[in-house]
Amino acid sequence: MSENIYIFSNGELKRKQNTIYFEVKDGNHKYLPVENIREIHLFGEVILNKDALEFLSQKEIILHFYNYYGYYVGSFYPREHYNSGYILLKQVEHYLDFEKRRYLALKFVEGAISNIITVLSYYRRKGINLESLDKINALYQNLFYQNTIEEIMAIEGKVREIYYSEFNKIIENKEFIMDKRSKKPPENQINALISFGNSLLYSYILSEIYKTHLDPRIGYLHATNFRRFTLNLDIAEIFKPIIVDRVIFYITNKNMLSSRDFEEKLNGIYLKESGRKIFISKIEEKLRTTVFYKKLGKNVSYRRLIRMELYKLEKHLIGDEKYYPLISEW
Amino acid sequence: MCGLLNINMAYVNGTLIASYFICKRELWFMAHELTPDQDNSFLELGRFIEEDYYKREEKGFIVGEMKIDIVKQGDENVIIGEIKKSSRSELTGIMQLSYYLMRLKEIGIIAKGEVLIPKERKKIPVELTKEIEEKLRKAIEEIQMIIMEPFPPKLEKIPYCTHCAYREFCWS
Amino acid sequence: MYVIMVYDINEERVNKVLKVGRKYLTWVQNSVLEGEITEAKFEKLKIEIKEIINPEEDSVIFYIFRTTKYTEREILGIEKNKKDNMFL
Repeated sequence: MSENIYIFSNGELKRKQNTIYFEVKDGNHKYLPVENIREIHLFGEVILNKDALEFLSQKEIILHFYNYYGYYVGSFYPREHYNSGYILLKQVEHYLDFEKRRYLALKFVEGAISNIITVLSYYRRKGINLESLDKINALYQNLFYQNTIEEIMAIEGKVREIYYSEFNKIIENKEFIMDKRSKKPPENQINALISFGNSLLYSYILSEIYKTHLDPRIGYLHATNFRRFTLNLDIAEIFKPIIVDRVIFYITNKNMLSSRDFEEKLNGIYLKESGRKIFISKIEEKLRTTVFYKKLGKNVSYRRLIRMELYKLEKHLIGDEKYYPLISEW
Repeated sequence: MCGLLNINMAYVNGTLIASYFICKRELWFMAHELTPDQDNSFLELGRFIEEDYYKREEKGFIVGEMKIDIVKQGDENVIIGEIKKSSRSELTGIMQLSYYLMRLKEIGIIAKGEVLIPKERKKIPVELTKEIEEKLRKAIEEIQMIIMEPFPPKLEKIPYCTHCAYREFCWS
Repeated sequence: MYVIMVYDINEERVNKVLKVGRKYLTWVQNSVLEGEITEAKFEKLKIEIKEIINPEEDSVIFYIFRTTKYTEREILGIEKNKKDNMFL
């Protein structure tokens, strides 16, 4: 049983015999090894009672909820177990002090753009004509002269626009055409994949934040809004190109998806259950893939890389070591 | 004993004493509530050993800010025990226990100590000596100073890093 | 690591063993559970099982694999419970 469980069926999730038990509406059931589960993603209509939530909370299992369209809607984030008033104060300090906030916002975007360049360079080496790389490089140089958070975000927006326009060259399968990034609703299949992949990534990062002392409500690039989680959105910028986008290129170029895996709803295009399962399998595989981490001197999974990015941020906040974003060499 | 020392010592607990003899950086983290990764396999194993091997004994005594693993009545004196996962932490166990013994002595309780390593079926008796007491006093003083530092002590590669629950934190 | 747990337990206690096993591993068929588990969790599982069984009468065997890379799984007849499925 994987550490992450994805529930697509409709049914009831309960505590039974000191473990978790899922009863599918059609009468099937399954016991889940509570000691080995880290998070449960709920896509189906699932009934939960307080007893189950208390049990999940005690076992520190996070629930991520998605709506009918596969959008992330929220999480059940058990009472925090890694509490540190010290880190919280430092997190706030780095938000309120504009220069400190700007530094972090800038570094997150620097990581995002650098990793976009890494991804594009890989395809250029494979012989794809990606002339936009020069434009992106120029914008990257410009990044460091931006003063406000809005300006920093604007640079990132421009880079992404150019980057997405190159997707058609990278994706060989002509069933998938990208015109421009559209979110709500996604207007084509590639946009549906990006939206779904990003949703998953936000939830994975949130789960990792849970295992640190950081408060997910305080972000730096994405304005802190005390009702929503934003730190996971910040960190996601760094990982989108090397996790989500690479999975998209992989599954489309290997013809693992076809238009049968999508459907049209509310003028938008969405992944169907079959498509979501394929995507999840591949992104899970990606998260388990390991790469060599020089400073640590051992192999770590992509999932672990996310955690370590958060550790770097914590060290920055406590004044131990300045934060530099992960720039993929792989 | 002088009251001043007691006030200063109020910030020090057994874990900090143990950390002091292992890694000053860990000490600083501990003092700032920066707990290590609880999923760390070594840490998790240590927890089970503590929880399960000594189910029958009375345990988890809190005296002031000290958390003593085991307290039992010996032939003459009270015996306090500290559970460790392996011989690797024998020395820190001795220092930790000595610290408890010293604190108990201050409030008029004469006790003996035992470092317990259930996995290796080892029991190391600990007695408070003048030398150790001196060492501890110096440690306490230095601990106060390290804790007051605005930043953690600089990163340094030591053999302990390999199995440390802070490894990925430090080396990320 | 990957563990396959097989047990032969007196009727009086068999249910208790199953209950504990299910907290850590996935039930595959009668008296067999398996799954990915960390070293620490495996220790915990063994401690819990030891508390239940009667060492004179019961037997539990663990097959331990560092990796399942070189193993294969073949089923004749029906598959009673799909193992290792992250989708429900």
